[in-house]
Amino acid sequence: MAQNVTNVSKTEEVSSTRRVIAASSVGTLIEWYDFYIFGTLAKIISEQFFPKDNPTAALLATLATFAAGFVIRPFGALFFGRLGDLIGRKYTFLVTLVIMGGSTFAIGLVPGYKTIGFFAPAIVFILRLLQGLALGGEYGGAATYVAEHSPAGQRGFWTSFIQTTATLGLFLALGVILIVRQALGVETFSDWGWRIPFILSSLLVGVSVFIRMKMSESPMFVKMKKEGKTSKNPLAESFKEKDNLKMVLIALLGATAGQGVVWYTGQFYALSFLQNTCNVEFVQSNMIISIALLIGTPFFVVFGALSDKIGRKYIMMAGMLIAVLSYGPLYNSMYDNANLKNKVELVEKTTVETKEAVKGTDNVTTTVTKKTFTDGTTYKETKKLTVPLDEVKKAELAAAGKLKPETKKETILPENIKNKMIGIVLIQVIFVTMVYGPIAAFLVEIFPTRIRYTSMSLPYHIGNGVFGGLVPLIATRLVEASKEPGYSNPLTNMINSVTGHIGTPAGQVDPLAGLMYPILIASVSFVIGMLYISNKTNNMDVG
Amino acid sequence: MSAIKKLFGIVWSLMGIGIIPLVIMQAMKEIAAKPSEENWIFWSIVIVVLMPIIAFSLITFGVFALKGEYDVLE
Repeated sequence: MAQNVTNVSKTEEVSSTRRVIAASSVGTLIEWYDFYIFGTLAKIISEQFFPKDNPTAALLATLATFAAGFVIRPFGALFFGRLGDLIGRKYTFLVTLVIMGGSTFAIGLVPGYKTIGFFAPAIVFILRLLQGLALGGEYGGAATYVAEHSPAGQRGFWTSFIQTTATLGLFLALGVILIVRQALGVETFSDWGWRIPFILSSLLVGVSVFIRMKMSESPMFVKMKKEGKTSKNPLAESFKEKDNLKMVLIALLGATAGQGVVWYTGQFYALSFLQNTCNVEFVQSNMIISIALLIGTPFFVVFGALSDKIGRKYIMMAGMLIAVLSYGPLYNSMYDNANLKNKVELVEKTTVETKEAVKGTDNVTTTVTKKTFTDGTTYKETKKLTVPLDEVKKAELAAAGKLKPETKKETILPENIKNKMIGIVLIQVIFVTMVYGPIAAFLVEIFPTRIRYTSMSLPYHIGNGVFGGLVPLIATRLVEASKEPGYSNPLTNMINSVTGHIGTPAGQVDPLAGLMYPILIASVSFVIGMLYISNKTNNMDVG
Repeated sequence: MSAIKKLFGIVWSLMGIGIIPLVIMQAMKEIAAKPSEENWIFWSIVIVVLMPIIAFSLITFGVFALKGEYDVLE
């Protein structure tokens, strides 16, 4: 009889934890979805709101892309983290969800630059800042809330569901965009269809708010509040008291910085590398990433659960180390598989089409070259040369060296190489799951309940927002710098010596140069983590 | 292990201190060579956002490590 009561009680506990996880995860997933659709549609948003001929708007475009993701997220972490430690987890991350959903919905409704002029980029910029603030507050709240509901010994497993949301949010964003784009056609999508993914967010957020309203406050927070042990000033306690500050620093330098760069490299830089360096066509490159994300996502839970058994530290550190050691060969392989110089062209199938048309005051010449290769790869190069009809303007542009065609390169890989690419990206997603799966449990366990929301949110968002979020910017910059004379990259040199490549000739881009930043950050983080982080689990207090 | 942790504390602090002139000099060199808006934005982000975070956290972390603050975390 007593055994039956214990079993029923355990079943109820598991069922209740499942409800908490589901309700928290859905909301967090939607927040990530909201955040990523802006980034994924950055090019269209830039055309709609930030015209290049207006320098202020162009500056706002850059700031909107970077500031919201990097600078604002840690501020959101501080602001909402403090609220969460003062008034409770439930209401705080309900507020972040509403702010995120409202901002995303509003972006979908803002009239373009052509309609309301400078107000358009200004409004979008403010809304993007609100998105960053909300995201900064959401994750820490969700992770803390779930961890404080989870039974001891299973925090890695339960919090790993929250960890899946960032990747699933990206997957959802890519999926919705691809479906809407395919359904409406490229032109309509670029014109107004891009607004649909933003507006759709309101529906998702509405459902999620409804679910979250029904949730109860974290039991640990309720207990602490009853005992009058909540913090009066979580910010001061978190960052002015040496005992907490030293844990914030170790969390940042030994874990989240390395985790952040591995996360961004394995997902965002991989996509950027496929599209910009390998010239893989838009839909195919997004499909490669989406499939790899979908296959890799369950591993968040696998490594989260494993961390309950063997500890968080060694799984995260192994993920960082393997990533550092294998990024070079993996990216080299991606580049080689898409490199047209390694393929044999079927010259008889090559076609070149040239069209001329007068558009407004310009003469536009479009040349489309299509090539087919023996392995089934197809390549399309579109060159668009816009020349003013006015001879004086034409002479001015020619003198300034600005009469150059816009070139768009699109490679479509055959099925076998596409699958190989999915495999290579999947390996990187597995690294992501190793470093990211256990990290929520690791972060919540090193800080006391009274300041947990504040203390864990800041290192998480600096690690991911600043160190990780800067991966695309710094990596692109490093690739550009590789064109300079005298450039030398130890990673490329090593790979060249092993594979027998002759290296990057002067003036040409070194495709692997961008990896130096994530490799350096993850290496430092690995050494700090190995030396200073404890491998204990379940050391979570209530006071 | 404790001695290694302390010794590395010096390394982290020196890295934190060293990164400041290194980044500023590189920024000045690159902006002087090509004073484009893109260059200004990139280096502003690095100098205003990334560098202070890296420098402050490495220096403070290094000092804590040197003082043996992390020795108990075995």
